Amino acid sequence: MTHDLNRRTLLKAALGSAGLSALGSLPAFAQDARVRLYWWGSKERADRTLKAVSLYQERNPGVKIDGETLAWGDYWPRLATQAAGRNAPDLIQMDYRYVAEYARRGALLPLDEFLGKSLDIGDFDKASLDSCKVDGKLYGINIGNNSNALIYNKAAFQKAGVPEPIDVTWDKFFELAAAVTKAHNGEYYGTSDGSAEEVAFENWLRQRGKALFTEDGKLGLDEKDASDWFAMWAKAREAKACPPADLQALDKNNIETNLLTQGRAACAFNHSNQYVGYQVLNKNPLGVTMYPQGAGPNPGHYLKPSMMWSIYARSKVAEPAVKFANFTVKDVDGAKLLGVERGVPASPKIREAVSAELDAQGKLVVDFISHVTPKVGPIPPAPPKGAGEIQTMLRRIAEQVGFGRLSTADGGKQYVSEAQAILSRA
Amino acid sequence: MTTTAQIPLTITEPEKRSKRRGGLSRTLVSYSFLAPWLIGFLGLTLGPTLASLYLSFTNFDLLQDPQFIGTANYQRIITNDVKFWHSMQVTFTYVILAVPLKLAFALGLAMVLNRGIAGLPLYRALFYLPSLLGASVAIAVLWRQLFAKDGLANVALGLFGIQGPSWISDPNYSLYTLVLLSIWQFGSPMIIFLAGLRQIPPDVYEAANIDGANKVQQFFKITLPLLTPVVFFNGIVQTIDAFKAFTPAFIISEGTGGPIDSTLFYTLYLYQEGFAYFRMGYASALAWILLIIIACFTAFSFLTSRYWVHYND
Repeated sequence: MTHDLNRRTLLKAALGSAGLSALGSLPAFAQDARVRLYWWGSKERADRTLKAVSLYQERNPGVKIDGETLAWGDYWPRLATQAAGRNAPDLIQMDYRYVAEYARRGALLPLDEFLGKSLDIGDFDKASLDSCKVDGKLYGINIGNNSNALIYNKAAFQKAGVPEPIDVTWDKFFELAAAVTKAHNGEYYGTSDGSAEEVAFENWLRQRGKALFTEDGKLGLDEKDASDWFAMWAKAREAKACPPADLQALDKNNIETNLLTQGRAACAFNHSNQYVGYQVLNKNPLGVTMYPQGAGPNPGHYLKPSMMWSIYARSKVAEPAVKFANFTVKDVDGAKLLGVERGVPASPKIREAVSAELDAQGKLVVDFISHVTPKVGPIPPAPPKGAGEIQTMLRRIAEQVGFGRLSTADGGKQYVSEAQAILSRA
Repeated sequence: MTTTAQIPLTITEPEKRSKRRGGLSRTLVSYSFLAPWLIGFLGLTLGPTLASLYLSFTNFDLLQDPQFIGTANYQRIITNDVKFWHSMQVTFTYVILAVPLKLAFALGLAMVLNRGIAGLPLYRALFYLPSLLGASVAIAVLWRQLFAKDGLANVALGLFGIQGPSWISDPNYSLYTLVLLSIWQFGSPMIIFLAGLRQIPPDVYEAANIDGANKVQQFFKITLPLLTPVVFFNGIVQTIDAFKAFTPAFIISEGTGGPIDSTLFYTLYLYQEGFAYFRMGYASALAWILLIIIACFTAFSFLTSRYWVHYND
């Protein structure tokens, strides 16, 4: 099997370097600082990032930035492999889920020493800074904030004569969704099945006053919570508000295969910054709103860094890497090139400058964040080791319930017992 | 090397030395030709393999230095890992179905092609094509489209009034779509069977015809026995390949082994443990268990081969 792994990895390396050589038309000189930049995301993101890179290189002739990009699923295995080979990229796009994992294993550089010098992010609000800290040290530079967002096909609701699902309760949401399905003769569903989406599950748990994980890294929910969640979606499935399991299984957890993009369902559970990426792939105009609300006053939403820049602990070009990162979040021209595709900038000055020139879609995202901000709760603690495995596990159990192989009650039991086993092992 | 032994005792000292030098330089030359492979083998195969043996006794997590933990990984795999047994079951189902079906299909087609139809090289090339493309990402992606709920397969079934299931996203069928994909790549065993069939002397069939043996009798009494060395070879190669299958499941399920772990091949599970969950030590132990299983299978095949493989000598 190593044979196949190698071939795949090699292929990617080849593709990556082909991209690099296309990118680096300028000859590099010995005294150049070469910074390896690594991010995940769509083509839209790659286009924006590469534009920012070339502008920066134009202004800083001594610096050469080599970009590498992969899809989310391939991104982390490759980063882990490179880190194991002590050859990780200098500037790494980091996710809230992984920052603690990498930082605590000593793979990331604490950025506190750069603060106020090459890293000029003093005007970030406290929440935007704290969310990038692990054990009191700064390990990430907030590229933009986002929040959970329901992305939906406006036309599907209009055509059905159903009001858009803006700030509704879960019950109302499923009612609207079922009406959309009915209006499309059952061939197009009101919403995708969100039972496997951990973001939706977490939001819903917070509305119940629970959480995925507690401060000390234990499981923050019980069997009843999980089985109620599965039961809610089982009911929606029965009412044809969301598609049956065999259709939902086509969703491979990315924008391209989400049932909204595939033209099979009207709503997708996602993050606000992904709206831009969705709109690029969808012909119909999309709307963005909050996830359905709970009955109580507990907020499900929170603001989080949609992603951050981190520096590899062994990087020999940490200083130039920090400078480029600073360029993307604090230089008006650099930040404008990235837009709000990575989230809404944390710096007020930059946010204002970027908003002024946004297209309609970008404005929608900024407006959404302003709309959500007064309604959010605190950011949950950084997830414990094993959280990634639990996310995959939720998908599997939700599918088992969806296909009728587990009852909703047993689904809840199994989720809790497997999650505890994973946490105790990690 | 052997030249030294063949040197007659009568020759004088200087001559002897020069001959020896010639032998040495010839050895060097042969090693230099071997070098590209040898370096690759030592550096890219043997080295990492031995390293993984060591890592399988550690808790290596890719980022921190590995710590020796004895046989804990192996103990957990055997006694306390549901996914290990599940992925074993998936893999064995795949091997047991895919290998015989593929071989049968390859042999059947080889026999048709062996009847001397016009344009044989063209057909041979065409049938071989899927094997060249087989492990590629593009084919797996194509397969995903073909067997989706409204994919081509179901459109074809629809012509006969059959409402097909959602093949790749229904856990009841997803593994069988992968078996089908494997059978479709029958090209390389077919080529080898074809070569084997060519080796069977036609006069044996003539004699059988004169004795009044029909086609079925001829197949079971002549073709199959004389072909057993080729069947043996193909069987071993295909079995090892099937145990190691990774790419199709990885692409079709986007690395998840889903839906509901129905395509969680052993190698995919190993990959997840190592690269998605940072448990490289554990993954190394899994890899060694697979190696041992494959070795046992191969050894078993060799041991039993003398009872059913007939060499023509």
